[in-house]
Amino acid sequence: MSAVANLLAFLGLLAALLTVWRQSHQGRLRLLVAQALLLAVMAAAIAVLSGHRSLLGVAVACAIIKAVVIPRALGRMAVGSPPRPVAPGRSVGGALLIAGALVVVSYVIMLPVTQVTTLPTAGALPLAFAVALIGLFVCVTGRDAFTHVLGFLVFENGVFGLALLGAYGLPLLVEVGVFLDVLVIVLIMEGMVVEIRREHASIDVDRLRELRG
Amino acid sequence: MSALILLLVPLLGALAQSALGRARLAVHLVTAGLTAAAAAGLVVAVARDGVVTTLFGLLRADALSAWMVALIALVAGVAALEAAREARAHGGPGDRRFFALFHLFVFTMLAAVTTDDVGVMWVAIEGTTLASVFLVNAERTRESLEASYKYLLICSVGIALAFVGTVLLYCGDVDAMGAAEHALRWTSLREIAPTLPPRLVHVAFVFLLVGYGTKAGLAPMHTWLPDAHSEAPAPVSALMSGVLLSVGLYAVLRFKAIVDLVPGPDFSSRLLVALGLASLTIAALFLWASGNFKRMLAYSSIEHVGLVSLGLGFGGPWGVAGALLHVANHALAKATLFVLAGRIRAAYGSAEIARVRGLRAAMPLTSRGFLAAMLALMGLPPFGLFVSELMIFRAGIEAGYVAVSVIAVTLVVIAFGGLLRSLHHMVNGEAPAAVHETSTWASIAPAALALGLLVLTGVAWPPGLAASLDRIVAVVAR
Repeated sequence: MSAVANLLAFLGLLAALLTVWRQSHQGRLRLLVAQALLLAVMAAAIAVLSGHRSLLGVAVACAIIKAVVIPRALGRMAVGSPPRPVAPGRSVGGALLIAGALVVVSYVIMLPVTQVTTLPTAGALPLAFAVALIGLFVCVTGRDAFTHVLGFLVFENGVFGLALLGAYGLPLLVEVGVFLDVLVIVLIMEGMVVEIRREHASIDVDRLRELRG
Repeated sequence: MSALILLLVPLLGALAQSALGRARLAVHLVTAGLTAAAAAGLVVAVARDGVVTTLFGLLRADALSAWMVALIALVAGVAALEAAREARAHGGPGDRRFFALFHLFVFTMLAAVTTDDVGVMWVAIEGTTLASVFLVNAERTRESLEASYKYLLICSVGIALAFVGTVLLYCGDVDAMGAAEHALRWTSLREIAPTLPPRLVHVAFVFLLVGYGTKAGLAPMHTWLPDAHSEAPAPVSALMSGVLLSVGLYAVLRFKAIVDLVPGPDFSSRLLVALGLASLTIAALFLWASGNFKRMLAYSSIEHVGLVSLGLGFGGPWGVAGALLHVANHALAKATLFVLAGRIRAAYGSAEIARVRGLRAAMPLTSRGFLAAMLALMGLPPFGLFVSELMIFRAGIEAGYVAVSVIAVTLVVIAFGGLLRSLHHMVNGEAPAAVHETSTWASIAPAALALGLLVLTGVAWPPGLAASLDRIVAVVAR
């Protein structure tokens, strides 16, 4: 069980690191889908291996919402906006280096958690948390709405993985609420991006500078 | 039962907006009235029985919940009347979507403070963002679009951090009690808190504090707040500043009550004191630099959130009671101010302080209310904020935070100066000829009521107030 969890969480982390590296919207979108599918597989694997059958439903919901519906909405956001080239003097290498450092940070922060949890999957917790941190990093440093939402979703995937690995998922009511929540955020964001594009003819956030001080 | 009714009223009211298109203003007012009545019912039930539970314990209202419910209903009532007034002034029946989301927003806040499940509370607080983001953008200008984008993004990320904290707490919790449906109940967590691993709980609390602190507008996570509060229509600003921020603090207080039961150093208090001081500093600086009076009110919200955070951090009966009383006082003063600021902005056609002169001569009625509420906000007697600030600082000195208390008082005085300067500029001077009074005695009545309540909390506590604060202190006691 812990070998399966470690492998899947590691692949998820790899997808997150590649998200930092890739620059094209389509490439990043495909990585997000891959990551969501890995999460669904992880939920299904834990369901089968641990006997928590209700997680099978979570796996299906994850595959549908996180791997199909949300990436589609995100894809609509990306339409008509070319990816921003990396600014001169700032290479992807630097970003990757920071992402690598975040993995180490994640192990440090998760130390008190991994020390006390007794579940066989607990060893993979820092990997899932590293995905969350990298997502946060992508979101905070993003320069356009697409990257903001993408980073947020990677972050969300990491936290979802954390709940799966650390507690075999959350109580059902909360799980449903969280899925709905992410979906609504992405849909509202999509609506806003359409409006921003109409107003500013771009989804580049540098143009949003009306409110200062 | 009363908790369930309280949640159903605004939810059904919001749904009715889309079903009954013609009478939307009437439906809006009826919903607001019924919400207030249901809130009063819940407060009475809690005062009588101590704790009210429904839906197999999923909904649970104790003295702390009842306090928040009363505040939310009160501010929502003031905001609803102002929204109706604005709709009438524009000649139409108002925007259907606006009214529906208004009541949905109230519903999510009420749900957050009446559920016992911290997971459901998280969903409800995230729901407050989703329900209010369109309300911030109700005027559909470039600035309001930008403000609502920032609001949604920053608060979603913040609240997701709170989710990390909730998940971590659940991880420790599942080990102790198994994956039961009630494992995320606040009451269960309070019971098993002494057995939870302290370091795990501390890590979880950092995430929870940063996450819910973002919603509460604590510095340095406050950056969404001035934009959202200044761009939203007046009734929405009143709700956001008056009670939404306090709902974030409410969540922090609930988790602090759990962390305090864990053995180890007094971890949560120091963090709250640090964030409180940071908020006060930011607010004191920006209150001297504000060019827009709605932004000025927004920065003053950060100041008062900081004071409440200090009160919670100082702890003890004086700290907790002072913080909760301050939340109520601030809600009353700030709701009044945002409502009146909306009228001033409409009359002058600008929210720039530089453009607003001679308020006293041009809008005598509005100006009197605005002036009184500003003096209350600055913490002058005979208004309640003076008393609650004294309570908070007394708690600080009792808890040994003497230096922090002195710094905080200094910052409050600096903020006072900034507010006074802007107020002086707005009230005095010569008014433009085109500006006329828009308030009537009837439309200023809610503001007068709020100011009257502020005098009561400042001079003569109504019967039952001290007892309610005592019960709240007992709810979160160690």
